[in-house]
Amino acid sequence: MLMKNILNKDNLKDFANQNSAFIAFMGLFMLAVITCGTTFLNIGNLMNILRNNSIIGIVSLGMTLVIINGSIDLSVGSQLALTALIALSIINSTQSIILGIILSLISAVVFGFITGWLVAKFNVPAFIVTLGTMTIYRSLSQYFFDGGGLLVSGKSAKAFISISNMNLFGVIPLPIIFWLILAFIISFFMSNTPTGRYIYAVGSNEKATRLSGININRVKVYTFIISGIFVSIAGIVEASRLGSINSASSGISYEMDAITSVVIGGTSMSGGRGKIIGTVFGTLTLGVINNMMNLFGVPPFLVGAVKGVIIIFAVLFQKRLNIKEND
Amino acid sequence: MPKYIVKMQSIEKAFGGNKVLHGVDFCLQKGSVHALLGENGTGKTTLMNILGGVVPCDKGEIYINGRKAVINSPSDAEEYNIAFIHQEIMLVNDLRIYENLFLGNELKHGVTINKKAMINKAKNILNNMGIDLDPTALTSTLTTSYKQIVEIASALLKKAKIIIMDEPTASLNPTEIERIFMIMETLQTKGVSFVFISHKLNEVLRICDHFTVMRDGKVVISDRLTSDIDEHQLASYMVGAELSFYSAYSPRTVGNKILETRNLSYKKDFANINITLHKSEIIGVTGLLGDGRSELFSTIYGCNSEYEGEIIVNGQKENITSTVIAKNLGISYLPNNRKEKGIIKDLSISKNMSISILDKLKRLLIIDRKAELFSNQDFIRKLNIKLHNLNNSILSLSGGNQQKVILAKTLSSKPNILILDNPTQGVDIAAKFEIYNIIVKLAESGVGIVILSNEPQEILSLCDRIYVMYQGKIRKEFNRDEASQKKIMIIATGGAL
Repeated sequence: MLMKNILNKDNLKDFANQNSAFIAFMGLFMLAVITCGTTFLNIGNLMNILRNNSIIGIVSLGMTLVIINGSIDLSVGSQLALTALIALSIINSTQSIILGIILSLISAVVFGFITGWLVAKFNVPAFIVTLGTMTIYRSLSQYFFDGGGLLVSGKSAKAFISISNMNLFGVIPLPIIFWLILAFIISFFMSNTPTGRYIYAVGSNEKATRLSGININRVKVYTFIISGIFVSIAGIVEASRLGSINSASSGISYEMDAITSVVIGGTSMSGGRGKIIGTVFGTLTLGVINNMMNLFGVPPFLVGAVKGVIIIFAVLFQKRLNIKEND
Repeated sequence: MPKYIVKMQSIEKAFGGNKVLHGVDFCLQKGSVHALLGENGTGKTTLMNILGGVVPCDKGEIYINGRKAVINSPSDAEEYNIAFIHQEIMLVNDLRIYENLFLGNELKHGVTINKKAMINKAKNILNNMGIDLDPTALTSTLTTSYKQIVEIASALLKKAKIIIMDEPTASLNPTEIERIFMIMETLQTKGVSFVFISHKLNEVLRICDHFTVMRDGKVVISDRLTSDIDEHQLASYMVGAELSFYSAYSPRTVGNKILETRNLSYKKDFANINITLHKSEIIGVTGLLGDGRSELFSTIYGCNSEYEGEIIVNGQKENITSTVIAKNLGISYLPNNRKEKGIIKDLSISKNMSISILDKLKRLLIIDRKAELFSNQDFIRKLNIKLHNLNNSILSLSGGNQQKVILAKTLSSKPNILILDNPTQGVDIAAKFEIYNIIVKLAESGVGIVILSNEPQEILSLCDRIYVMYQGKIRKEFNRDEASQKKIMIIATGGAL
């Protein structure tokens, strides 16, 4: 009876569905180990992959919520630049790291609220709203910083830089720890809090959720606020990692990488379905692909093409699963 | 020359084990408008689907113009000059009228589309119908009745001689209906025959010359529609002389007024609605498609914030502008379209059941799984829901059990005003009676219940009081003892008692 339950078609399908990201990642990982051997499989290289992808990883966590909610956020890249610039300018002028971080987070909450409110209250597609805010945030960053960058300076600079450049136990870079802790928190949030469940419910069937007596506008606003907070954290990690942020180039095309991570991670673009852990593996998959292409010496200009092929295949794979489920 | 253009003989059809047509005979006279009547689920649409090639029949024969016909697909039906105009309009809104008319059969010059020829031909057809319509107009600019007319034109373009219309007037207003009827009459003189499926008996009397009534997959009567037949008689053919149906009703003492509306109106959906509901009372609201009852009660549940008039809950005037406010006032709503508005397909059975009460099930910020499980199991027991695993997808359940899960969700917030819109949709007889018993028990425990249904039988077997709606207005209020299926049907179809 138990065996029958475990092996029943639905469960197998669910397993494949929920773990497609993990399966894909493991396959790719093996491929990398076989083809590149120890150049790939050594602590230094592995930590590098993790650290280089932790910023996109954090942005992707928030993006997962947005996509599960049935929306999209194209503004994450320019929002990252703007909120990080806010953090840096506060730190430079007050020399208080805490104040810089707090104000950056507050601005992220405000931005998230505005986006969510426009999407929820006026029923404007998130694609359009965030296309607008994307250009607005980028333009404001460039206007206030003359299209240039901002270096962290003063006596707090060293402490600020060390946030992202310290290693735990001498081997694990802190950004990785931030990423994994945030992934754990948001994963717990999604499966154990009412708001987490509402985010799934709204993405799956907005009408039915509303008729269940739930304030769906609030759910949408919360989603964008949470995503905004993640973007702001990612921005602070990036600012600390590099010691500077450039108003024109920081965060460029992060939205694409984040969306790619989420999609490879098995989250449905039509909303309602997806797992945080899937997105983590999605980001890792992207990271391993980048690393492999690097090790193979693939010309950097071709990297985009390979990524593009992968995102299309990920979606095709999902579609197949969905069709089977609807049968 | 055979007398009948269509003759269907001993048609049988079963879906799964469920036999819906038990040897039906149906004849259509040339140039006539033939009404096909019956309540929901009597098999009339299935019969016409067989004629239209939408589904094949299991047994029986079809003769067109006296010759045996084999109709296995809609394109076969087209060969025999049969066209089926469905209730939903199947036009592409963003195309022009002539583009819709020729969709899939465009006239061409070699490889390019011959616009001129199509526009001219479209003009001819519309002229023949006596309709002054510019074929190059965008379809989206047309009203529903003109869209309906374009559908008829499209059927004529395919040389249809037999046109089946499934409730063509359901979403039309009286002037629009008259327009359609005039075109039908024009075409009738040109030898086109119609099968007219409708619930509106006054229209049937207006346009039809023959009628066939079906009940439980059989033909009850098929005859000429002579002037001595009236709505009462048609209605009694439809429901049967003796009504024997299950009644879950038992008398209760009703309490205070808990819900009242005063001149409630919303856009074109409904106007000046005054209804009352008491504690422990079950009221029924019925009518035909387009009567506005679903819109009325979704408004009371907070779905349309821009309503006019007053909603009074427990003696207090309330401004119900969102479903959250309604829920907090103790109102709960079971929507009429389960697939579209009821189930949340990506969530499990358990999550669907508890979505409305998560804020009560949480401790600090976290959902208390034990309390959730306890609540789920309580409903599974009370509503007798059959399932393997609470964590399976809601789609793994049968329709009846899905409906019970949605009912469990609706009841979970412990409402004192319960609105049930078509509560037994897509549910088999056994589950239907289970749901009836649950409703009665709830009323006995003090809940005031509103049942919206298009089945008069359902309303009669449960309700203390009945409101019949017609085109957005309450046309009549019945007490239980003065109502009958026949009376309800006459009022709902716009007739007079």
